[in-house]
Parts: sequence; structure tokens; C-alpha cells
Amino acid sequence: MRFEEVELGDELPAEHPDISMERVVEFTKAAHMNFPRFTDHEFARKEGLPGALVPGIMSQALLATMIHRWAPGCQILSLDTVFRGHVVVGTTPTISGAVTDVDDDERVVEVDLTLTAEDGRTGVMGTAKVAFPS
Amino acid sequence: MSDTEGTEPASTEVQEAKAKYVGFVFDTATFTVEQDKMLAWAESVGETDPRFTDPSHPDFQAHPTFTASLVSRRVLPEDFPKIGGPRGIDGGKAVVIQQPIRPGDQLKASATIADIYEKTGRSGTMTFIVQRMSFVNQNDEPVSMVDWKMIRNP
Repeated sequence: MRFEEVELGDELPAEHPDISMERVVEFTKAAHMNFPRFTDHEFARKEGLPGALVPGIMSQALLATMIHRWAPGCQILSLDTVFRGHVVVGTTPTISGAVTDVDDDERVVEVDLTLTAEDGRTGVMGTAKVAFPS
Repeated sequence: MSDTEGTEPASTEVQEAKAKYVGFVFDTATFTVEQDKMLAWAESVGETDPRFTDPSHPDFQAHPTFTASLVSRRVLPEDFPKIGGPRGIDGGKAVVIQQPIRPGDQLKASATIADIYEKTGRSGTMTFIVQRMSFVNQNDEPVSMVDWKMIRNP
């Protein structure tokens, strides 16, 4: 996607990111978050959770990855996320986005983002500002 | 990220806490950015852009929200009041990317309270405490700012 092709309302290609236990364990090591509520289903259920949870900041990073695939070479300037609901490890979420603002002078696009859990509930909502190369 | 998101007049205890705590640095921390952590982060979230996955790329850098995982020792100032009730929820993180972060960078972080505000909904009044981590690199260039919204419920 080049800046000249972006239009208000454009949807980013939706993705079903891999949130297998293997990936989550790898993320928690990189993010210094190696806690059982993220990596141990049994422990998490004893805490009253539906299962081990994908860390909110991992969901945030999945959204960044989707933006990079949509607009290669872009720079994400900001990514604001609200953690709304549980995203259980090993399920199949959907991430999606839509262009909500286009600044022709700055070549910056604003994108609304959502991560929807497998059960249809909203897991994470977000907004990103994305700069396109000139 | 606006500095004040409050949608209603704040209660007295929130006003007092804002006056006392907002904007003052209450903790600092230093972090060395390790290449293997940068790579593991990018790989674990399925990144395919070589700027984040290939250390030989000329613009190799940390994934945009990498600093969201770097937290200070103290989450709140030492004598911060117990406002807004006992139940805490992680409301989300907002990351501003100011400069690319490279392997080996020495980051210095300052923790402040950026805002305190209340919102009243169906389940009562929620108190939002926004903790801000501001990161500079070894050249004192700002590289990233992370706002962490902590929600307290009655």
C-alpha cells in the first residue's frame, strides 16, 4: 500500500494471528513477563480466568505487525490501545483495522484497530498514527 | 494522548492527588536493549518486516511498542493515596515512538503520573491513573513514551 492509494474508510486486510502457547511463551520471555497467568492454563483457571491470557502488550504488538504488512516501509508514530476483554492463549482471534483520517501534508494516516476474540467479544481496541515514506 | 481526558469535574481527592503528583518524576530506571530480546519479540508476534527481524538490515530496530514491556521498580509514587477503590484493571498502554531503538542502546526511563481522572458509567465511578514512562537513549534523545492507564473500581 502506497500513501497515494490510501483512502478514508479503507480496511486493512484482516489477520488471524498465531497466539499459540509456544508464541506466547516466547513473547513473555522477550517482554520479561514470564508469569503463569499468561503461560499456564491450569493456574489461570484456578485464578478464575477462562484460561491463560495473551498479555495486552502482545496484542498491541500484533496490531503493529498487521500495520507493517499493510504498509511496508511505514513508521508507526503512536499506538494507543485499550485492553477490553480476555484473549485466551491458543484460540483464534481476528485483528482488523480501518483508515479513519488521512493527512496529505504530513503523509500520516490514522487507523482504528480491533482485536476480536474467538468468541466474538472485543479483546483490544486501538488507534495508530502511521507515517508513510515520501 | 491528551494531558487531561477527564469528562466530568473531579472529586476532591482526585483534585488533591493531581495537584500533588502529576508531572513529578517518582522513579528512574535504566535498560540495556538486547538484540536477542528484540528478535524474540518480533518473531513471537509474527513480524515479517526485515527492519525488525534481520539484524543485518541497515535500519534494524526494535518493534515499535518494545518499550511497553520496560517497567520501573515503582508503579506509583511511594505515598500515593488509595483513591478509586481496591479493584485494579490494566486499562491499556499507549506508546509514542520518537526515534528508532537499536541493539545495545542504553535507555534511561523516568516515571511520572501524567494524569488522574474519573469517569462515571453504569457500574459506578472509575478512577483512571495514567503512569508515564519517558525513555531517552545514551545520547539523551527521546526515543519513546509509554502511558499506562490503570483503572480503579469501587
